[in-house]
Amino acid sequence: MTSVIGGLIGTLFIISVMSMLWKDNVFFRFGQAAIMGASVAHYTFMNFQSVHTNAIKPILAGNVLFIIPLILGLLTYSRLSSDISWLAKYPTNVLVGVGTGVMIAGTLRGQIIDQIKQTILDAFTGLNGILIFIGVVTAFSFFIFTKEHTGALGTSVKIGRVFLMISLGANFSGELVWYLTQMIGRMMYILNEFIWPLLGA
Amino acid sequence: MATVKERLAKTTRFYQIIWALCLIGMFIPLVRPLGLPVVLSEPVKDYYNSIVDLPEGSVIAVSFGASAALLDEQEAQFLATWKTIFQQGHKVIFYCSTEDSPIVIRNELIVVVPESYGYTYGTDYVILPYSPLGEAGQAAFAQSIRSIYSTDIKGDPLDEIPLMEDIDNEEGIDLLVYQYTSCTDIEWAVRQWVVPFNTPVIATTLGCCGPMAAPYYPTQIQGFLSGSGAGTELEVISGNPGPGAAMGDAKNLGILPFLAAILWMNIKPFIGKEE
Repeated sequence: MTSVIGGLIGTLFIISVMSMLWKDNVFFRFGQAAIMGASVAHYTFMNFQSVHTNAIKPILAGNVLFIIPLILGLLTYSRLSSDISWLAKYPTNVLVGVGTGVMIAGTLRGQIIDQIKQTILDAFTGLNGILIFIGVVTAFSFFIFTKEHTGALGTSVKIGRVFLMISLGANFSGELVWYLTQMIGRMMYILNEFIWPLLGA
Repeated sequence: MATVKERLAKTTRFYQIIWALCLIGMFIPLVRPLGLPVVLSEPVKDYYNSIVDLPEGSVIAVSFGASAALLDEQEAQFLATWKTIFQQGHKVIFYCSTEDSPIVIRNELIVVVPESYGYTYGTDYVILPYSPLGEAGQAAFAQSIRSIYSTDIKGDPLDEIPLMEDIDNEEGIDLLVYQYTSCTDIEWAVRQWVVPFNTPVIATTLGCCGPMAAPYYPTQIQGFLSGSGAGTELEVISGNPGPGAAMGDAKNLGILPFLAAILWMNIKPFIGKEE
């Protein structure tokens, strides 16, 4: 019985959120507010717990160096007051600096050099590799805006546009299938958590 | 000549019919499974082989970045992956990189009970709690796990957990299973695990993120699962049926009206019908 009630509550939330497809209504707004409220509470708690574990506990244990990231984190909230909002620049700068430093080496080798190398090497391995090579070169040429798209460049741009369209189409079809999966998942939830238990199946 | 309003109404009606057919198509297999054939793709085969080819007792790190809202898309991937790992007898370090991960992993490990494979918590597998890792966190984890996590999800110090005694960085990890939901996160694994340490990496992600993972396969990541369809394939290849089986049929039937619509819209101009 408990599981049926749980399934019923879940089903009501699913239906209330999906009722937006019909039109904006009080059930949709209730469902939306409840989900948002629960999400905010969950994320706040989890992140506070993370700060507690990773900063406050070490500080209390005598590791005073952890006070620096804690202060930097707190400075982010200075944006709430226009008088001291400039203080938020410090944590932002640290984040950007560290982020750039961490990613730059990996980007150069992993995403530029290795990708170019592999694209060229694959061009000699078969039709698939040749197609990818042509696709990469012509798609890149599409973004050359310092020269008029005529002659050989114009032809390359036209071919590149086809590859770009295929790529965007593949991405879009992935999105569509993803939405269908989400819908199927909710239908499975309603059947497995509410309908079948209710019918005793 | 139809007005814009009339044409819009006609288009809306067309899409409503497509969606209604799609819903019916999705619903039928959920009530009566059809058992449609599943074709295995190369990235899924390589993903599976990366796990089963490891010697028994290898250490696998699972970067678990799940989202409760997107679980339908990835649940089959998670369950089939973990069952495969447990069947091979590998040791597993789960570490949670999103806020939802601790809840999702607890719920999923009720379905895939590691103890039913002879596993003991702390010796054969361990779950590390949520930490807002990001890319810098992944880099730090690869270099020193203890710089990110001092305890496991139960609050026990890592030094007191047998599995973690000799493991503190990438050297102790034989394979990284990178499970994520944000499309560009795969770059973090490439930049922080593959480039500096050459760690073997396999990945699971959403269907819409697959095209962003594909350029790194097979040279930088060994294999990847994109969407619930790939989860279904892994269920088939590993012999571990799960939620993907029912979902696969529903998705195949649900997508048919869209394929028919695309086909019709492309043929229509050539047969001279008015839009």
